[in-house]
Amino acid sequence: MNYSPALASLIAALRRLPGVGPKTAQRMAFHLLERDRDAAREISRSLTSAVETVGHCQRCRMLSDSDVCPICVNPQREAGLLCVVESPADVVAVEQSGGFRGRYFVLMGHLSPLDGIGPAELGIAALETILELGEVRELILATNPTVEGDATAHFIAELARRRGVKASRIAHGVPVGGELEYVDGGTLAHALAGRHNFESP
Amino acid sequence: MNRSRRLTLEPAFLLHQRDFQESGRIIEFFTQDHGRVCLFARGVRREKSVLSPVLQPFMPLLVSWAGSGDGGALTGAELAGAPVTLSADVLMSAFYLNELLLKLLGREDPHPEIYSAYAAALGDLAGGLSQARALRLFEKRLLEAIGVSLDYSQIAGSGEQLDPNEYYHVRSEQGVLGPVARSSAGIHFQGRELLSLASEELTDESSLAAAKRVLRAALDQVLDGRTLSTRDVARAIFDGRTK
Repeated sequence: MNYSPALASLIAALRRLPGVGPKTAQRMAFHLLERDRDAAREISRSLTSAVETVGHCQRCRMLSDSDVCPICVNPQREAGLLCVVESPADVVAVEQSGGFRGRYFVLMGHLSPLDGIGPAELGIAALETILELGEVRELILATNPTVEGDATAHFIAELARRRGVKASRIAHGVPVGGELEYVDGGTLAHALAGRHNFESP
Repeated sequence: MNRSRRLTLEPAFLLHQRDFQESGRIIEFFTQDHGRVCLFARGVRREKSVLSPVLQPFMPLLVSWAGSGDGGALTGAELAGAPVTLSADVLMSAFYLNELLLKLLGREDPHPEIYSAYAAALGDLAGGLSQARALRLFEKRLLEAIGVSLDYSQIAGSGEQLDPNEYYHVRSEQGVLGPVARSSAGIHFQGRELLSLASEELTDESSLAAAKRVLRAALDQVLDGRTLSTRDVARAIFDGRTK
C-alpha cells in the first residue's frame, strides 16, 4: 500500500511500540487522524514533554522528571528500608502490593555474565554510596527469582554485609490461590526450603 | 537439514537466553545428541507460561522442538529429574562453562562426551567440590573433544615420558618441550604438575595453578582474540570485593 509520506511515517513510528504490528499501527493511525485529532495532539505533546524531561532519579535510578523522584523525597517513606529491584516496572508492581513503605533502588537489569553485564552496568557504585550514608538498616532484595536474579541478589547481599547492613531476599513459592499439584518442582522446592513456623499464640 | 523434523524429549541444558519480541525468547540449548541448538520459544514470558519456571540455566532438561536446530521452535520442556541447586558462590563458574560451550562449539555438532563432562562439572560445582578442579577438568575435556588438546604426559616429538622432577615449557602449538633448567627464562612447569593434569588428578594447589596457566593459553589460542565476558564480569565482582 502506498501511503502519503506523512501517514507512512506515522505508521512506521507507531510500529516501533512493543506489540504493534503493521495492521495495528495502521488502525491506530487512522483512528487518530479520522476520529480523534485532539487525542493525537495530546499524545504528541505528552511524548515530546516526557522525552525532554524524564530522566532517572539521582538516588534510586527510577524514571523521574525531577532530579530526585517523588518516592525518594517523600518524608513519610522509611529511609531505613531499601528495596532493590531490576526494573521501573518492578517498582510499580511492589507499590501496587501496598505492603511496602520504604524506598527503592532500581538496577535496570541483572548480572548477566554472558552478556558482559556486571556491577558497573547495574549502578552498584551508586548503591554503595547510599549504603555508606548509614541510613539504610535493611536491604530487601526483590530481584527476579531466576538464576541471574539470584546471583545479583547474592552479590548485593554480600556488599551489604560488608557494610553491616542487614540484607533479606523476598520469598518465592506457591502463588496465592494456587494448587500444589500444578506448581512446578523448582518453585515447590523453594517453597519447602523457605517454609516458616506458625507463630505461637 | 530437514525443516519439518520433530524431536521429542531430548536431554539438554539451557546455556543462554535472550528476549525476543513481546513474549518470546531465543534460547541456546546444549543437547546431548544434537550439540548446540538455538530455538525460538514463543509466549514463554507470559504470566501463565508453564515453561518459564523450567527454562533456567544449569537444570537437566528434556526439550522438544520442531524444525532445524538453528531457529526451530521449542515445543516443550520439562525437568529431567531433580532440579540442580547451585549456590551463589559457584554461579560465576557455571556461567563460565556455558560461555565456553557457546564460544567453542558450532551449532548442531553433537558431542555427547562434552555433554557428560558438562553434567559432571555442574555436579561437582553443586556438590561443593573444588571449583578450580571442576573448571580445569572441563576445560581439558572440552579442548580434547574439539581436537586441540596436547598430550601433557610426554615430550613433543620424542614421545618420552615426563620426569616428575624436571621442568618443562609448554607451547600451545607444539606441546611439552624440555627438560629445561629450573632457572631458565620463560614460564616453565614441573613434570609432576603436567603429569597431574594429564592424568586428571589435580589434587594439589601447584598442579591446579599450573593447569590454569596451561589451559588458559590453549583456550586463548582457540578463542583467537575473542574475549570471555564471564571472565571480565567475574574480575569486576572480585575487584569490588577486595576494594
